[in-house]
Amino acid sequence: MKFTLKIWRQNGPAERGRLVTYEAQDVTPGMSFLEMLDGVNQRLIGNGEEPVAFEQDCREGICGSCSLVIDGIPHGPDRGITTCQLYMRRFPDGATITIEPWRAKAFPIIKDLVVDRSALDRIMQAGGYISVNTGGAVDGNVLLIGKDQAETAMDAASCIGCGACVAACKNASAALFVAAKVSHFAILPQGKPERTHRVSAMLEAMDREGFGSCGNQYECEAVCPKSISVRFIANLNREYLRAGIVEAGLPGEPESPHAESV
Amino acid sequence: MALAGLGLTIYVIFHMLGNLQVFEGPHAFNSYAAFLRDMPILLWTARIGLLSIVVLHIVLATQVSLHNHRARPIGYAIHRYRQASFASRTMMVSGMVLLLFIVFHLLHLTAEVIGSPTSDRVDAEGYRDVYGKVILAFQNPLVVALYLVGQLGLGLHLSHAVSSSLQTLGLEHAALDRLFKAAGPAIALLVVLGNVGIILAVFLGIVRP
Ligand code: SF4
Ligand code: FES
Repeated sequence: MKFTLKIWRQNGPAERGRLVTYEAQDVTPGMSFLEMLDGVNQRLIGNGEEPVAFEQDCREGICGSCSLVIDGIPHGPDRGITTCQLYMRRFPDGATITIEPWRAKAFPIIKDLVVDRSALDRIMQAGGYISVNTGGAVDGNVLLIGKDQAETAMDAASCIGCGACVAACKNASAALFVAAKVSHFAILPQGKPERTHRVSAMLEAMDREGFGSCGNQYECEAVCPKSISVRFIANLNREYLRAGIVEAGLPGEPESPHAESV
Repeated sequence: MALAGLGLTIYVIFHMLGNLQVFEGPHAFNSYAAFLRDMPILLWTARIGLLSIVVLHIVLATQVSLHNHRARPIGYAIHRYRQASFASRTMMVSGMVLLLFIVFHLLHLTAEVIGSPTSDRVDAEGYRDVYGKVILAFQNPLVVALYLVGQLGLGLHLSHAVSSSLQTLGLEHAALDRLFKAAGPAIALLVVLGNVGIILAVFLGIVRP
């Protein structure tokens, strides 16, 4: 198979970028999208040119580092997968494919297709943690958790922090990411002590990092490689309302003493 | 923004329902109008309340849009939507159409700056003849066209707005999901059908003086 690629090239964060056209040759239908790019880079290196920088690590859909907008859709034309899980047989032979980086103010471009997603880490630092006592591990099954609860929490916890939700959102909002993290903790007993503080802290961090706000278009859900439901965004909004009420001193669960120290 | 929007939605529904009384003839409609005007304090409280909600809604919407616009300074060369509805993508445009329409509507039928003033006319029972005013207004094809455009803006805006507000307020439940998703388009359809029904009924001469 052969493809014409239009790839975003940009030398550094402050440089101007542009789309450059390349030919991808000798592609087999069973190659993954990243393997196809590897081939292009081999040829570039062979010609003494600078290879295209793109991010990748696990190549099996679990690390969330491969991050390409392919023909206008983050992670490409298939649903529920990451870029590294996308195969070239999905494209008609001879097609022209446009490849761009995630675009958001909060995700500055480092080089070519690689963006800096540490904004998501800083959101996690603001509240995406639980307090665990040191010492011996708690015995299994001491804390009983209902199956439904456990499964819902797992659905939320499957977020791999890839940032496709931000890339797809017209407002570059990280609402689905924050919703997944907040819900995952709020549903489980281990997450309860910081529950109130967490949601406000993470939403404030999201604002601080320059992400937009949710307009309920649900594009995030449609590109999320883990198909995380926007119902978690409604849950995030509920958590936020609840936090507003609890923080205003009205009846609610007592706040954890640890909340003071963060 | 969501709360203000829902407040305005409720108003729009009652506005439509009240106006449906035009189908009951001049007596019912004029006494309904007189009934609303009979309580000046309530009327003006409602008007000022509505106006402040509208202003609040617009100010918040502008702030949010500017903030969102800043969140992506460099756009995509190609960007494809997967499931965002047409209405959700045109909220700003439909909102502006709606605003222009509301201003026109107020100048036209409330303040009577546009068109020939008729408020001094009274009907057989001594009520102000609002019925006659409406009939007269919607005989003009240009006015009808403008009102239909306004209704298009209203319908588009509401069809995304209502469901979106419910989500923003965290109203979501597995069992009620479809109901909430359908709420926006359903309410939009209801309001627009009611309003357009009135306009066309008058224009086509089904409701006559
Ligand atoms: S919610 Fe989905 S799209 Fe967003 S970061 Fe997590 S896995 Fe990626
Ligand atoms: S490389 Fe790890 S998810 Fe694609």
